[in-house]
Amino acid sequence: MSFNEKIHWAAFVAIVSAFGWYFLSYPWQIVGRRAGVAAAADMLLPVTVIIIGAMSLTAAFFAIRAPKEAHLKDDERERTIHMRGTHLAYYPLVLGVWANLFAIFYQLSAAVHLNLLIATVVVAELVRVGSQLYFYRRGY
Amino acid sequence: MARLPFTNDIRTLRFLAGEMTQGDLGDQVGVTRQTIAAIEQGKYSPSLEVAFRIARVFGKPLETVFQWEDSKD
Repeated sequence: MSFNEKIHWAAFVAIVSAFGWYFLSYPWQIVGRRAGVAAAADMLLPVTVIIIGAMSLTAAFFAIRAPKEAHLKDDERERTIHMRGTHLAYYPLVLGVWANLFAIFYQLSAAVHLNLLIATVVVAELVRVGSQLYFYRRGY
Repeated sequence: MARLPFTNDIRTLRFLAGEMTQGDLGDQVGVTRQTIAAIEQGKYSPSLEVAFRIARVFGKPLETVFQWEDSKD
């Protein structure tokens, strides 16, 4: 397994864990009120710290274990995998933006918009990282 | 995943070149060991440049390393 693939696995697990906790623990009963935005802001802080911390520790761990691999530049296969993953993530991103536009038309609360945007980014990231992991494993 | 329309003899050529490892070949070609493994297994279609670089490492013409499968036309 290449250094990049290990980092992708770490990102996938970190995103699922951190945002899984966020969406399961968010107080949905106040999503229609102003306090819903503050609750989201409070919860995004630990989520951000968990993701950045997990990614940094994982990258450092694997870089220390295999420094040569960590310093390798992406080759053409890895660049193509990254490009295809990013391309696939574009679709959920566009769907999320459209969902947010409709939320504006229906005059939903700011916290609903915020959570919709967070969900859009999370789904797009999971599609990007997940598809890249698939391409790393199965080729294309 | 659809199979590629060509095969290759990289594994054999590596063996004949003093049991060269995938990592050694990758270093000489400028790609990772994983990319060489993917090419060998027919999971990845390399660019023309990488294909030529692989052939040059073994000192063979391109068609000795990669063979088009006529049944896949």
